Amino acid sequence: MTALLRYQAALLLRSQRWLPPLLLYGVIIGIGIQSGQPVLDSLGVTAAAILPVSGWLVRVCATGEPPAARAITQAAAGPTRVQLACTVTAFTASAVLGAVGSLIVAAISDPQTDNHTLRVPMGPAVAAGLLATLACALLGTAVGALCNPPVLRRPGWPIPVTALAALLLLVASGSPANAAVSGLVSGSSTGAVHLPVLPLALAVVACAAATAFSCRLAARR
Amino acid sequence: MGRRYRMRGPWVLRDIDLDLPAGALLRIAGTNGSGKSTLLRLLAGIDAPTTGRITGRPRTAYVPERFAATLPFDAAGYLVHMGRVHGLSGRQAASRADTWLERFAITGYAGTSLDLLSKGTAQKVAVAQALLAEPELLVLDEAWTGLDTAARAHLDEAVTERVAAGGTAVFVDHDPRRLTGAGARVHRVANGRLADSRAGSPEVPQVVIEAEGTGEPPAALARHTGATAPQPPADQAGTPRLLRITLPADRSDTALRALLTADPPWHIRAVRPAHPPGGGAIPYGVAR
Repeated sequence: MTALLRYQAALLLRSQRWLPPLLLYGVIIGIGIQSGQPVLDSLGVTAAAILPVSGWLVRVCATGEPPAARAITQAAAGPTRVQLACTVTAFTASAVLGAVGSLIVAAISDPQTDNHTLRVPMGPAVAAGLLATLACALLGTAVGALCNPPVLRRPGWPIPVTALAALLLLVASGSPANAAVSGLVSGSSTGAVHLPVLPLALAVVACAAATAFSCRLAARR
Repeated sequence: MGRRYRMRGPWVLRDIDLDLPAGALLRIAGTNGSGKSTLLRLLAGIDAPTTGRITGRPRTAYVPERFAATLPFDAAGYLVHMGRVHGLSGRQAASRADTWLERFAITGYAGTSLDLLSKGTAQKVAVAQALLAEPELLVLDEAWTGLDTAARAHLDEAVTERVAAGGTAVFVDHDPRRLTGAGARVHRVANGRLADSRAGSPEVPQVVIEAEGTGEPPAALARHTGATAPQPPADQAGTPRLLRITLPADRSDTALRALLTADPPWHIRAVRPAHPPGGGAIPYGVAR
């Protein structure tokens, strides 16, 4: 498994196909955040931004090899483990990207509430931001795993379906991503920092289930 | 087992029952679209059967027909990665990658990015990837396509070595004589089903060997020949007798070697096709 992860990571990094999702992340943050804005608000936007990006990174990993090379890897390691390695690599990349993004955003933000009346404690705020980012990265990975081969194999469908699913997860009330992000944003007006533990737990379950489903299908397609 | 690609779609393969013992060399024959490649993908574990199951999962390596790899690695780097995926240590993978690059005479391309390699050179990398793993099951889907003559011979040799070392090899190739000398057993896919057509089927022509000698017929020959001609009546000592052996062409080399190395050696009078075209018996090889 280590060898597979190393191969997938090298494939992702050297292919430079990470560049478009990285640009998307940069654009969302560039439009949504300016330096000196309230920290919890900004961390909420940063966490939300990683969701579509992680979905895209799963697509990059799942389609990174031409079919012949994929067949070689699958014969050597088994399709299930290849699919698992793809998903884990994509998730790791989005988690690292999200963590770095959150720390940079926290560094340039103002530790105050929206109306600049209350101070927001920086440590808990960053912790809450990182947990929300992790939850969004997990959900984005789940969306990516379900909206790409081997689950969704029709050409043309994966990108719009991923975009729609990511949007729904962010705006629909009741979704863990929406709960994590709105927890940060509401904290920004009240000054109370909520650690999004429950949304994170739900995201872990959703991501594990989606990954398991895609790994099961990997050998059957 | 059976396989179809869509629910209610046509069965590509049905009621396949196949044993792959250690040390076996199997050739899958069949027309285009008969399901040969699907069968190989199932055997390699890339694909799973719709019905039935495949038991046992040996360490497997697969060589696709066409390896047009737009991968961001150079040849040596890719081989090391694949060696590790096959379970080798990094150092082992690197040294075996060197060995195989050298054996296929592409050491000069070790540092070349895969997408810049010619089709044949890329195919050699795909073959090297499979061979460096020394797999228990080697699956070759027209792996010879695109290789030059020397590389084909190297691949034949490597497959034979693998089988001799107790590995199993399954292959598809358009050349009906491929590896027949190594005793490949032929299975034919037709209408989604598998028929065992052993060596000696119409695909492998029969030859007749006529030998003259005074000694006992080599014992090894009985194992290697399909049928031995009726023995001539009891000889007086020193009188040469005629031995006529009919056997598949791919086993003639073994038989000839046995006859020539016997003590006392046999004199080969003629080797000819069993059913020569045009009716005349034309010997096409005479030894000694």
